[in-house]
Parts: sequence; C-alpha cells; structure tokens
Amino acid sequence: MSSITDNPAMLRTAERVEHPRLAPGTTFVKWVTTTDHKVIGNLYFITSFVWFLLGGLMALFIRLELFEPGMQILDDKQQFNQLFTMHGTIMLLLFATPLFAGFANALMPLQIGAPDVAFPRLNMFAYWLYLFGGLIAAFGFLTPKGAAAFGWFAYAPLSNSVFSPGVGGDLWVFGLALGGFGTILGGVNFITTIVCMRAPGMTMFRMPVFTWTILITSILIILIFPPLAAALFALGADRRFGAEVFEPANGGPILWQHLFWFFGHPEVYVIALPFFGIISEVLPVFSRKPIFGYKTLVFATIAIAALSVSVWAHHMYVTGQILLPFFSIMTMAIAVPTGVKFFNWVGTMWGGHLVFSTPMIWALGFLVTFLFGGLTGVILASPALDFSLSDSYFVVAHFHYVVFGTVVFAMFAGFYFWWPKFTGRMLDETLGKIHFVLLFVGFHMTFLIQHWVGVDGMPRRYADYLPEDGFTLANQVSTVGAFILGSSMLPFMYNVWKTWKYAPLVETDDPWGYGASLEWATSCPPPRHNFNSIPRIRSERPAFDLHHPEAAPASIRAAAQPTPVGKA
Amino acid sequence: MKTEALVFGLVGVFGLVMAPIYGHFTHWEEPVGSVGLFLAAGLGFMVAFYFWLTGARIGYRPDDNPLGEIAEQEGEYGDFTPHSWWPLWLGLTSSIMFLGLAVGWWVFAIGAFFGVFALVGWVFERYKGQYAL
Repeated sequence: MSSITDNPAMLRTAERVEHPRLAPGTTFVKWVTTTDHKVIGNLYFITSFVWFLLGGLMALFIRLELFEPGMQILDDKQQFNQLFTMHGTIMLLLFATPLFAGFANALMPLQIGAPDVAFPRLNMFAYWLYLFGGLIAAFGFLTPKGAAAFGWFAYAPLSNSVFSPGVGGDLWVFGLALGGFGTILGGVNFITTIVCMRAPGMTMFRMPVFTWTILITSILIILIFPPLAAALFALGADRRFGAEVFEPANGGPILWQHLFWFFGHPEVYVIALPFFGIISEVLPVFSRKPIFGYKTLVFATIAIAALSVSVWAHHMYVTGQILLPFFSIMTMAIAVPTGVKFFNWVGTMWGGHLVFSTPMIWALGFLVTFLFGGLTGVILASPALDFSLSDSYFVVAHFHYVVFGTVVFAMFAGFYFWWPKFTGRMLDETLGKIHFVLLFVGFHMTFLIQHWVGVDGMPRRYADYLPEDGFTLANQVSTVGAFILGSSMLPFMYNVWKTWKYAPLVETDDPWGYGASLEWATSCPPPRHNFNSIPRIRSERPAFDLHHPEAAPASIRAAAQPTPVGKA
Repeated sequence: MKTEALVFGLVGVFGLVMAPIYGHFTHWEEPVGSVGLFLAAGLGFMVAFYFWLTGARIGYRPDDNPLGEIAEQEGEYGDFTPHSWWPLWLGLTSSIMFLGLAVGWWVFAIGAFFGVFALVGWVFERYKGQYAL
C-alpha cells in the first residue's frame, strides 16, 4: 500500500551508516542547554508523553476501583479524589497543552522556512517552567495528606484551606500557575515567529493550515492564560495568606467558576485546534489532493477560536445563575465552523486516491471519534438536556470523545507522519496498525458505554456504587476496554525502540512522496538551522511543487531550481 | 503586515461586539464576562495597531510578497544564541520562588536570591565570550 516507503532505493541500509554517538554526559549537557527548536520540541514530546503515561496509569487505577461495587483497590475515597483530580490536571495541562508546544516547536519554523523560533532562549525557559511547574503540582502525591483532591477545576469553596487543607493543594495551585506562565511565553514566541520570520513568498495565506492553527491557538493562549494565572494567584492567596476572594459570603464560588471557565473552555480549543491542524496536514498527503477549501478552513479556525471565548458558562448551566439563552446559542453556533471543517476534510478525501498508511488510519480514527464527541456536545449545549446529564458519566464520555479523539488520535497521526522528520527513521507500519486497532477498540469499549451509564444516572467522580444501581456490567465492560486501551501503548513503545535500533535512515527529503509543506523540502532530520536551500514559494504547497514540478504553478515550472540561501 | 493586523483586529472587533451584548443581558451584574471580553478587545486592537504601525514604518517585506524570491532575504538575518545555560538557571530559580509561595517564605527568599544571579546572567550572556555581540 505504502509503496514509497517500502522502496529500498529510497532508504539507506543501516550497515552503511556511521553513528557518531556522543558520550552520555555530552548528550545530557547538549539537551539541557539547547536553544534549538527541534530539540526543545523533542523535550516537549518526551516530557508530555511521560505525563500521558502517568495520567493513563491513574486512569487505570480509577477504572479498576470502579470494576465492581465496594472499595477493593484504593485505601479510601480520598485517594480516588486525588486520582481523578490529578488525572484531569495532568491530561489537560501537563500532557495536551505542552504537546501543542511540542508540535509547534518541532514543525512550525520548518513550515514557514525559518531558521529557528524568534526567541530561542525564551523557548527553552518556557519548557523549564512547564517541567518544573508540572513536577511541583504532582509533588503533592509525596506529601502526608496527598495531592490535590478537589477536582481539576478546583471549585470554591471546596478548594479553600478549610475544606481541602494540606500542602498538596498549595503545590497544585502554584505549580499550575508556573506552568501557565511557560505556556504564555511559548504562545508569544510562536506568534512573533509566525509574524516576523516567514520565508520570502510565504504570505499569510500560503502558510500550511497547521501553522495557521498554531497562530490562532497562540492568540487564544494569550487571551485566556492570564485570567487563569489571576484566578490561581487569588486562590493561592486565599489558601496561604488569608485573603477572602472566593469566600461564599462574597459570591466567591460563582466568581471562581466564571474565572476558571473563562480560561477552561477556550483551553479545550487550545488543545483541539493544533490537532485539527495535524489532521489537515495528513489528509491531503494520503488523499493525493490539495486540501479542499484552504481559506474556509482558516476562517473556520478563526471563528471557532472567537466563539470559544464566549461560551465559557455552558459548564455552569446547573448553577442557575447564568445567561442560559446566550450561552446555549453561542455553544450551538460553534458546531457550524466545526462542521465546515468536517466538510473540508471529507471534501479533501472525496474523489482522492486514498492511501491507507498508518498516519491516514489515525486521521480517520480521529474523524470518527471526534464526530461522536461533537454530536453529544450539541446535546449538552441544550440546557433542558444538560440539567439532567450534567455531572453524569454522559459528560465524562462526551469530553473523552472530544479531547481524546482530537489530542491522542491526532498526536499519533502526527507521530507516525513526522517521525522521519523528527528522527530520520520511519516507524514500522504493521506495528502502527496493531497499535491503532488496539487503541481504537479499547477507547470505544471504554467510553461508548459510559453514555448510557450516565443517562441511567451514574454520577461522575463517585468512588463507588451499589450493586442495586445496575451499573456493574457496564463498568466492567468499561474497565476491560481501558486495559485494552492501556495495552495499546506496548506495541507503540516497542515500535519506537525497534525503529531507533534497527530502522534504516531516511535518505530522501520526503519519504511519503507527496508532502506539501516546506518541512518536506529539507533533510530528515533537518540541519541545525533547518534549510540548506529553500525552494521558491508560489503556492501553499512549496515542497509538493518542488518535487512534482509537472503539477506546479507556471512560475515554478519555468525555473525548477531551488534558490540557494546564504549562511543562515 | 496587513493580514497579521487584520487577524488581531478581528479579535478586537469580536470582543467589542460580544462584551456589550453579554453585559446588557446580564444587566452588568456579572463582572468576569464583560471585563474579560472588553480586555480581549483591548488586546486585539493593541496588537493590531502595533502591527499596522510597524508595517507602515518598515514598508516592504519579502514575506508578504507573493512573488518574493528567497535571495531577497540575504545578509544579516538575526541573532540566535547557539546554546545557553541561563534558561535552566532562571527556570529553576523561578520555580523555587513559586514553590516558596506554596511552602514558606524562606524557600521563596532562596529562590529570589539566586534568581537575581540567573537574571543578570541571562541579560548579560552575550556581552562577553566567544559569541559576544
């Protein structure tokens, strides 16, 4: 199927390659002092993937505890509270958000033809803030009273020092505030890079869709992470220094919910939009067609981002203190630009020559999973339905379909697609397909049934349920699914190890044969400052024009020679 | 830089339209939403204005020219630190300061003390040595 990658003429054999491996200490110093956006991208990938595995491990403990009525696995229900709190915190803020920074770092400068990001030292500083902030937040597990246990959205007054005493909660508050600053600095860096460092001819409306999503996501970040920092500092002042910002007597609980969700809802789009961008890069390459409706995709991305800032209180329907019609209408309106995106993705595949390589299969898995999540989202946008479904397992199923569907499926699509660009080696296709099947089956087995459990009335965040509730069988199905899902990481990690040890190096710039954006016009992996030469940019797919001049615009065909650049 | 200014201008327009609608129907009693949206508008317009001003000042950029040639960007491109220890030290000391907010002022003081050195090192890194400017 993927005849290009199986062609031995395009791959160098492993025996002929010299490995100038550095001493371990040298490599360590090189990595911790680096200012190279590609290495920083790798650091983000590795760190966020470790957090992903840790968060997944916590999820497995949660699922084990819910396997049958009674408390079997955990000592007490407080441990269960800590687990779901840290599971949510880790997956949202220590895995998905930094993963965006990882993909942005690794790819965006390549896609716009830049030698690095605008502020390389700031870039590394942002990474350290993320790493140390995450460690501080998770350090709570090692304190006597354990980690934060008030849910990842830390509703007041539960999160204050009376109801949640202990240093674990303080560490959570200040650790996340620190990591948030890292995210803001990263966002500023990406915006400056995209505005100032595009190659000549790379106009805004020739940027790859992925780079567009990075720009829009970074704008969202500078809009919403400062309110989060403000809210966390106020909460920290309440907990540590006796302030009374979120006291119930002052209307604090509603104030916290507004502040938190003013951040929290756009945050969902911060972790969704870049992954839409990845899908928009993968689909055209394996459909052998240009992206369908480039400008509509860009404007749909802008529309989603704008609308997302005005729907925050749809998480607060059941407080009874918000403007229901406004938030209901705005929330349903988001389905329109999202539907436009689906239309574009399907239009890209329509009539194309589909090649089912691993990245394409992951992209299709994304389309299916995210569509389910989007549909239940419209259900939950209706206040009448939300009143009975809020805080039930229906909501749990909904947001796992949305967030897991975008982040994890698109992450693996991106990993399999760009692995040669990151490392110079192709991941194994067969193992990738085994990985996909296990993960796809495991995911849907875990979460599809939770819709019905939720409709039947099982509330989220409960450590236990009664045999008479009739939830036992569904929870057992869900737990078995979760372990299938967890086991799917094994073929992936074996694949990474096997590729690292035995896979031949990629000889060509574009191992997939039909890559569109500029990263496929430089070597795998690229040199220190990314390009030895940049092709002339006359469309939104300069690398495709370079490699397939017969299909390129006339000005490329006239002079099908890449223009050499001076030293970067 | 017209498109860049336009994108941020859209953020500003959106905030300026939504904030009064939201404020009006909540009778201006809920502060977070309308303040947040007005501030979003302010941010959008501020950045858009700066981009517009800068675009008018620097004039032609090959980045914005659909017929731009790569060679137009020859010469001095920018200044990129090849590697640096200072992000680590500054990150470490600011983390100790944040840890101090959660644990106790004495930890904060240690972080602040070393943070001064990290900040000075960061700022003056390129004033001497092999890569001095």
